[in-house]
Amino acid sequence: MDKLIALVQDVGLLWSEYHVMYLNGVKNTLILALVATAIGFLIGMVCGILNTIPYTDRDPAPRRIALKLLRALIRIYVEVFRGTPMVLQAVFICYGLPYFTDKALAFTGNSGIWLCSILVVSINTGAYMAESVRGGIISVDPGQTEGAKAIGMTHVQTMVSVIMPQALRNIIPQIGNNYIINLKDSSVMFIISFTEFFAAHRYIVGVNNMYFPSAAIEMLGYLTMTLAASFLLRLLERAMDGADSYELVQEDALTMTAGTYNHPDRRTPFDERSKEVREREKQKLKFGRNRGER
Amino acid sequence: MADKILEICHLSKAFGDHQVLRDIDFSVSKGDVTSIIGASGSGKSTLLRCINLLETPTGGQILYHGRDVTAHGVNAARYRSHVGMVFQSFNLFNNMTVLENCVVGQVKVLKKTKAEAIESAKQYLNQVGMGPYVNARPRQISGGQKQRVAIARALAMKPEVLLFDEPTSALDPEMVGEVLDVMKTLAAQGMTMLVVTHEMAFARDVSSRVVYMNGGVIWEEGPPEQLFGEPRKPETRDFLSRFRKA
Repeated sequence: MDKLIALVQDVGLLWSEYHVMYLNGVKNTLILALVATAIGFLIGMVCGILNTIPYTDRDPAPRRIALKLLRALIRIYVEVFRGTPMVLQAVFICYGLPYFTDKALAFTGNSGIWLCSILVVSINTGAYMAESVRGGIISVDPGQTEGAKAIGMTHVQTMVSVIMPQALRNIIPQIGNNYIINLKDSSVMFIISFTEFFAAHRYIVGVNNMYFPSAAIEMLGYLTMTLAASFLLRLLERAMDGADSYELVQEDALTMTAGTYNHPDRRTPFDERSKEVREREKQKLKFGRNRGER
Repeated sequence: MADKILEICHLSKAFGDHQVLRDIDFSVSKGDVTSIIGASGSGKSTLLRCINLLETPTGGQILYHGRDVTAHGVNAARYRSHVGMVFQSFNLFNNMTVLENCVVGQVKVLKKTKAEAIESAKQYLNQVGMGPYVNARPRQISGGQKQRVAIARALAMKPEVLLFDEPTSALDPEMVGEVLDVMKTLAAQGMTMLVVTHEMAFARDVSSRVVYMNGGVIWEEGPPEQLFGEPRKPETRDFLSRFRKA
């Protein structure tokens, strides 16, 4: 008990002394994670969409070769950036670029560090998201594509109106995953002296050696950030699923009530949702379980 | 006979070594209601999917108003917009409401304005008795209702031919009737239809011609009275007698 009280006192001490620094670190971490996840998601979208352009043996040879080449390039990008540690990627890019360009291109000053950090985390996230988006697209029932084709829609129209909206809904848990991972893993950017939340800890303990109290603040800080992110993502998912009930449109003006049909409660024996929805639910569970895997 | 919309000449389809369709020859004229019957695996659905180019035929031709649509460089999407298809598993767009399902094709493919598209979508939805459900999503309605929406979606494209791929096979028995009723009304209105079905009563009473497929070929075809009344070939007789018992 004494120790707990001592810890709380130390934390209080640290906080009153350095809260500006901690909060600045939180701000930088949040901005970096948000921007890099957004850019990484866009990279992943482009890769995933390009990766799933269909081709058959009947297509002209140049088109087939171009598409195969494209898939190979995306494959290499994914494997390289998924298969190496982000901390090394940061060093490699931050110091490699000036090395190869004879310092014509270098990341200098505060803006340079920001740029390099965003670049590295974005590219890294993009590699993971490329696979997530591809998976999201593949997991949409092929019947949806056939339904769209059957009314004469082209591949692009099908993707824009039918497949991507459903695929995006399926990969929101993955986007959330990546955002949370980036919140935490952007801490390795201290290596190129980016001043995020963890860098604040390193600086502060370097001054006063209060390792454990500072680590306690960091733990609480990271947990608060990730919990808030999880909560917001849940809200977003629920909003995207739309209402569970719908209004019947009554043409007959003499009818007294325009009844509202309620969808049966989820997870009850009366849940009659279509097979696809149940399948999606299952997938979400699976994604959740794989969370630590990244 | 009125003018031929579709002519299928020597059509064949193989999946690898497995020959599913062999030398299929038949044609569809305006106003025909053709039922295709046969055992599972006889190639009925594949034939329909080939006609809509969802499967690429491995041989033969499909002539649409005399033009071969299997040739290279043919705009398959545009051809498909003239040949509607209703699937066994409905394939309604899950991310859209009932109304949007019937609007999206008209706007994107037929380039109608949204107001026009909504107008005609509502009209077709009323025709299939789904008018009150415009705001529902596919997951919220029953199988029979989904299939009626799917029919309205196909009709909204004003197709010349409507293909039905076992439209009632995925439905609970009590919902089969509502879908068949819609199809009977369409037939009575002169819609050209090609129906793969296990509903023998529908084939007998509604269609103008019945095609019996067996082992990837058209085994026998003729008007329903003849094919059901006095089938010429023993296999057809066997197939039909199995259905009578059931």
